[in-house]
Amino acid sequence: MINLQKRSILVLFSRLILGAVLIAASIDKILHPEAFAEVIGNYNVLPFGLENIVAITLPILELFIGCCLIFGIMLDGSAIITAGMMCVFIIALSQAMIRGIDINCGCFKVSVDNAGGNIGYRRIIEDILFLGLSLLILNRGERKWELYPKT
Amino acid sequence: MNVRLPLVQVFFLVFFSSVFSLFVNGIRTDGIPLLAKELDVADNIKISVDEPQLLAITLEQALDLYNNGTVFIDAREPEYFTDGHIMGAWNVPFLFELTFKLDSLQGKESPVVVYCSGDECGSSEDLAYELQGEGFSNLYVFKGGWDEWSENGHPIGP
Repeated sequence: MINLQKRSILVLFSRLILGAVLIAASIDKILHPEAFAEVIGNYNVLPFGLENIVAITLPILELFIGCCLIFGIMLDGSAIITAGMMCVFIIALSQAMIRGIDINCGCFKVSVDNAGGNIGYRRIIEDILFLGLSLLILNRGERKWELYPKT
Repeated sequence: MNVRLPLVQVFFLVFFSSVFSLFVNGIRTDGIPLLAKELDVADNIKISVDEPQLLAITLEQALDLYNNGTVFIDAREPEYFTDGHIMGAWNVPFLFELTFKLDSLQGKESPVVVYCSGDECGSSEDLAYELQGEGFSNLYVFKGGWDEWSENGHPIGP
């Protein structure tokens, strides 16, 4: 069993990794909301029309959560949201693969083609890993290096 | 409210990021509409247009256009096209090649019909918007697509 000190460091690393991943993932989506809405639309999971609102809000939520994880703000809430997002991503990716839908059916569009090309087991495994990290943060025990709320 | 409670934190984070994202989307110049707007359905088909248009059409309208010799473009991936497509439809994976072929054949004002698998797919609309961006001004999206066309026994090609 690892001791509390080591566990705190592990949690800190998880926070930094997950935070950096979320921020990195959010930037391109924030810059290109229209392209992101198209990518969401191609997953065929949302009723037509709703992909825009997701394309507007989800990247900013990722950015917020990423910053919160890194700086230690509302960590419980951030970890729960991250875990929830990862579950949604895993389901969305899996159903796309199982249904074998023509996900890069944005045929001539470079950005959509790239997004489609990225779909695969690797992405799902990564998301499962990130889900694990967020659950680790949620069950961190000792509250160290956190800005808000102070223990 | 006690901010130490995880669910209260979830609420705060989701609420503030949503408000912030809607605000940012509102003030940025390239913001997108909150709900994707569905294409208007064409009332009547025009062979030449004064203003650029991009409209959705029904199976009957698609059939009329088809019988008038309008170019149909299959926006699906080539492997789906190979499995079966509307007789005479084009499937050109590269936009520049497609625009060149269309432009040299019939100019930019003549009607063009774009379709994909069916109601669920978005690639026909995406391609139609791309063609609109290239200056084509008389574009129709056949929403029923390959599924509706083939189910109703209309001409298909190998």
